[in-house]
Amino acid sequence: MSTSQVPGTPTPQRYATSRATLLVDKGMTWLIKAGGLAVIVAVFGIFVFILWQVIPLFSSATVKETDAVTLPAEIKAADVVGILSDEWGELPLVVERDGTATFIPLPARYDSHDSSANSADPKTASGSTTLPTPSIIDLKLGDKPVITSCEINHRRQRVIIGTADGRLAVRSVKYQSAFADGARSITGSIDNDLTLTLGEVGKPIVNAGYGDSDTRKIAAIIQQDGERRTVLASTLVQARTLFGAGEIKPDRSFNLTEQITGVAEQLLVDERAEGIVVVTKAGDLLYFFLEGDAFTLRQSFRPFADQPETHIASIDFLLGEVSLVATNDAGINRIFSLYVKPGDIARTYGITKEFDQQLPGGAQTYAPSVRNKAFLLTHGTTASLRYGTSAAIRWEGEVASPVIASAISGKYHRLLMVGEDAKIHAYDLNDPHPESGMAAMFGKIWYEGADQPKHDWQSTGGTDDFEPKLSMIPLLIGSLKGTVYALLFALPIAILGAIYTAEFMHPKFKKVVKPVVEIMASLPSVVLGFLAAIWLAPLLVDRVPSLMLVVIALPTMAIAFGWVWAGMPMSVRSRIKPGYEFIAFVPMLMLTAWIAWSLGPVFEAMVFRVNGAGDFPNWWRTVTGLSYEQRNSLVVGIMMGFAVIPIIFTIAEDALSNVPPALRSGSLALGASRWDTAMRVVLPTASAGIFSAVMIGFGRAIGETMIVVMATGNTPIMGMNIFDGMRTLSANIAVEIPEAPHHSTLYRTLFLGALLLFMLTFVVNTVAEVMRQHLREKYKTI
Amino acid sequence: MNASHQNRPLKPARVTGEAQVWLTAMGLSIGLIMVVGLLAIILINGIEVFWPKRIVELTMKDGDKTISIAGEIVIERDKPIKTDETVEREIQLFTGNKDVYGQGFRFIDEKDVVSRSQPAGVLKVERMEYGNAIGMPVSLKLKGGEVIPATDPRFNHRLQELIDEVTDRRNEILYLEQSVIGANARRMTDLGYQRKSAESSNDQAAIAEIDAEVATLQADFEILRTKALELRARQKDHQLVLKLFTGEERTLIMGDLVKVTWSNELSLIGRVGLTFSHLWSFMVEKPREANTEGGIWPAIFGTFVMTILMSIAVTPFGVVAAIYLREYAKQGPIVRIVRIAVNNLAGVPSIVFGVFGLGFFVYIMGGTIDSLFFSDKGATPTFGTGGILWASLTLALMTVPVVIVATEESVAAVPRGAKEGSLALGASKWQTIQRVVLPAAIPGILTGLILAMARGAGEVAPLMLVGVVKLAPSLPIDGIYPFFHLDQKFMHLGFHIYDLGFQSPDSEAAKPMVFATTFFLILLVMALNLGAIVLRDRIRRRFATSAF
Repeated sequence: MSTSQVPGTPTPQRYATSRATLLVDKGMTWLIKAGGLAVIVAVFGIFVFILWQVIPLFSSATVKETDAVTLPAEIKAADVVGILSDEWGELPLVVERDGTATFIPLPARYDSHDSSANSADPKTASGSTTLPTPSIIDLKLGDKPVITSCEINHRRQRVIIGTADGRLAVRSVKYQSAFADGARSITGSIDNDLTLTLGEVGKPIVNAGYGDSDTRKIAAIIQQDGERRTVLASTLVQARTLFGAGEIKPDRSFNLTEQITGVAEQLLVDERAEGIVVVTKAGDLLYFFLEGDAFTLRQSFRPFADQPETHIASIDFLLGEVSLVATNDAGINRIFSLYVKPGDIARTYGITKEFDQQLPGGAQTYAPSVRNKAFLLTHGTTASLRYGTSAAIRWEGEVASPVIASAISGKYHRLLMVGEDAKIHAYDLNDPHPESGMAAMFGKIWYEGADQPKHDWQSTGGTDDFEPKLSMIPLLIGSLKGTVYALLFALPIAILGAIYTAEFMHPKFKKVVKPVVEIMASLPSVVLGFLAAIWLAPLLVDRVPSLMLVVIALPTMAIAFGWVWAGMPMSVRSRIKPGYEFIAFVPMLMLTAWIAWSLGPVFEAMVFRVNGAGDFPNWWRTVTGLSYEQRNSLVVGIMMGFAVIPIIFTIAEDALSNVPPALRSGSLALGASRWDTAMRVVLPTASAGIFSAVMIGFGRAIGETMIVVMATGNTPIMGMNIFDGMRTLSANIAVEIPEAPHHSTLYRTLFLGALLLFMLTFVVNTVAEVMRQHLREKYKTI
Repeated sequence: MNASHQNRPLKPARVTGEAQVWLTAMGLSIGLIMVVGLLAIILINGIEVFWPKRIVELTMKDGDKTISIAGEIVIERDKPIKTDETVEREIQLFTGNKDVYGQGFRFIDEKDVVSRSQPAGVLKVERMEYGNAIGMPVSLKLKGGEVIPATDPRFNHRLQELIDEVTDRRNEILYLEQSVIGANARRMTDLGYQRKSAESSNDQAAIAEIDAEVATLQADFEILRTKALELRARQKDHQLVLKLFTGEERTLIMGDLVKVTWSNELSLIGRVGLTFSHLWSFMVEKPREANTEGGIWPAIFGTFVMTILMSIAVTPFGVVAAIYLREYAKQGPIVRIVRIAVNNLAGVPSIVFGVFGLGFFVYIMGGTIDSLFFSDKGATPTFGTGGILWASLTLALMTVPVVIVATEESVAAVPRGAKEGSLALGASKWQTIQRVVLPAAIPGILTGLILAMARGAGEVAPLMLVGVVKLAPSLPIDGIYPFFHLDQKFMHLGFHIYDLGFQSPDSEAAKPMVFATTFFLILLVMALNLGAIVLRDRIRRRFATSAF
């Protein structure tokens, strides 16, 4: 073209895009990119956030020394016989051999679990104030007593003392906390509960125990009698007067010495005041039980019989006093719990757990937590914080000085250890989720009172010493169970329907059938759940045989009719055009189903006879030994099947319809029947698509919440009994999260359930999606 | 070849697999029967709740005496407990009069029934408390001591007049107590907080100002309260005397009555009319009696507001993300993976989003907002607890994949020629998107949005964690400043079903309500879905014809 300028031709600038347009374009580009990326990041942030909430469940405890307070000069480290902590770990009581006890103030720490507390650095908040002086308290054991035995009950805040002159004394410690100007001040006092002589006066007590269940009290002692040791127990009664509780006096006395072989070394009385455990030098454990008027020896065994070292270095109760934590001289740590062994009627001790790691030697101090099943063992400078339920070592480390006495604060946030260096070492303990961990959530655990290890879910209980059972396995099984039954119901209907719609149905019906199925997909699951519970469950409860008949009758009728029909002469067959079969079938199926349903009771009376009458639920219970609930997996399966049928149907139908028509035409032209074409040509080509449809259906069913919440009893049981309920991961979240305190172990465990669901469905859906994309590629090349 | 063979007529070979074809047809038929059957169950049961039934008097023999009881027959069925061989039938009767009988429903053995009749003139009275009363009218006791017996021709008219009068007055009381006095009380609470912060900053002038306002509010409150009490007292002026079929005579205070129906005198047209009137009042009334009486207006409104809020949140983000993925991001394996992942997110269980909403929106975002802006309220959470805003955002997050996928599909379906034509004419990229791509994609985006709304409206599980409650005292949008209460808990149709069906104190009384609520929820969700389907069909047709 010529470049000659024609007059009036606009300048090139006219064609340049205006700056405003460019600016807007730039701005929008930036905005869309930022926005798009932000949305995508936000969407994936869900996964990250949930993961972030779950991670603390699997971290171990952290322990950090914060303070070391030197004991007052009067107290020699060697004279310390025990330490007892208050709730906050700020005013421990140190008991000495000479019959005095001292409350020793420690620098205050803010509670690490208490989020409402001021978040300023706790160290600076407490460091500036000077500590009050320790207060020394006389334990009122008379003139110059010598304590030969001191047991501390951390839970009841009680000190049980045996003296060289044969007296047993119980002192309880009372703490009172006051809050003023945002600061906490704690004062302690000691109640003089009881001082009595059970055995002979003047002979030293080796070990003493005391149990108080409010209705009954038991005291027991081991007393040195020359070379011999006697073991005495006594029930106590408390006189009740108008002026309140009166003096406690021995009631009935028992001498257990005869029943003991070997030299008694230590004894424990449980807080139910019914059992006494005596340990001998040889390493035998004897379990006495108060039955009627006598202590009977219920059990005698050697806890470390299989070890070279059988001597028991330490033994004491875990919170709840159902389990004993014992170590031998080699430092092997085992837990023995009371449970009913097979064939027995009474509970006896049996080994339930052994810790993998052993201490360098037998435990020298033992301190249980009073709010969970954790306990602290020390040997020399080694300290180990362990958790009873999951047999996990939460923390283990070396401390500055060999430990003489130890305690855990009531809130399980501080460890206190008295060292040989005459100091109380205080450690901050940060262990918000001691009961969790891989083993607790996915492994079998031998819970207290159970006769074998098992997977169990029971997050809360009625008592303080309850063991939370947080296994994900029953919930996973429940989810899978519901899904399997739903798919059993849904797959045949959805896939047969999809094959028919794609291959045999007259194309003009597609416009109606597909929207109808989509409507089915859009039914809110709460509606399905409500119908399952209010309508279907009562309908099915005594009509299971009817349902069985329907399930048998429908396909039989369909095949039989089809076979007969195909054999009919052409003139008859032309009445129903190919592609119209399903319409003709609707009344026939309804009739068949109605007949089969009505015949159900007859069928029941013929087959499921119990005591001369047809009664399926009873028959099921007696024949299989399994239970039969009204809201069961069958109901869930049917209704959840209902929810997944449309999804499977739609995707499978798409995969089948999208098979290139050339394949189908070719097969038909070669003389194959429409069924053979569908089965041998179309179906194999589309099989990946059908598989992906099943996977997506699986993904939908496993996360379904409302149907399961409403249509089952939500009991977390294992087992695949179809007439039982179940509890699924999703229903568990819906049921329990309103009760779970923010950031508690339960809260995080429910997040773990959500994470499992997320990953499960995400993986399943991704596999399905990738398969579908492959299929699309395949169709392109055909 | 032998002759006989040749003469034999050609018999066509049996077509293989015809029987199996019928089997597959069965699959489809069962599916269709199930859908239609389920919808029919819900629709029939839902409509039945509103259909006025006749009141039947049953006379039964009890020894020598005959006793009678009247009510609406709910169901007649075989007794669930089987006695040997013989099947006994029983009748479930809605007797009403819960205040007298202790329960509203009763099962009666059919064999005990001597006779049934439909007594004329029987009155069904809907009340504010204790559900319905059923009985024969005796008289009206008016304020001045005048008594109009039921036989008086003026009776029916006068009764209707009085009902209208007390209904008007009830609305007036409600307005006075909830809106006027409520606003007054809220203002006083706010002033209380302000006074506290003024005290802490020791601002004497502000304290005096606040105290003055509190004093005027207090005076207003006293006046309003006396007025409300006066109105309440007038509600008790007149009384209606009913004689129950079991013999008791009850005097009902006029102010408690909502509606009276002469059930057995209704014509067919009257019954149809009454059905619609019931439907209407069910839609616009608030629930009463632990949700077993009254209507579901707060649930409908809550669902509506939540869905709208969700749409406002989900649309821009979903559309922007889709346009980014389709038009701006470099197409490659990474975008493909992102696309698959977004697609899969639509399949992640809704409860997982609920858990996220609780942990992130409620505790972290809400907790932060509370500590920044509402610290004067102390430990009472404002946004740090479930509310309609968090519920909407949670559902928006859950449905954003639906919108992204739908938008992407429709953006991809815009013919390449149109886009390139626009660019060739010198339009910038954004101009092309704004003027060519988006207009063409709008129906597709709308389809995605409607599907998202349908899913959001029907979802319950995540909402249970982030702000749905069984009874919300006030609506999330009302006439009280600041009009939109995004922190408020709300009611939802789906949760209402769950709550009525499973947490109700009177499950028999709640059953019809659940079916009716289900009916509404299904109508809503189906309407949304049908809208989306129709819209999608239109787009397909449009693109089918607009070939370049």
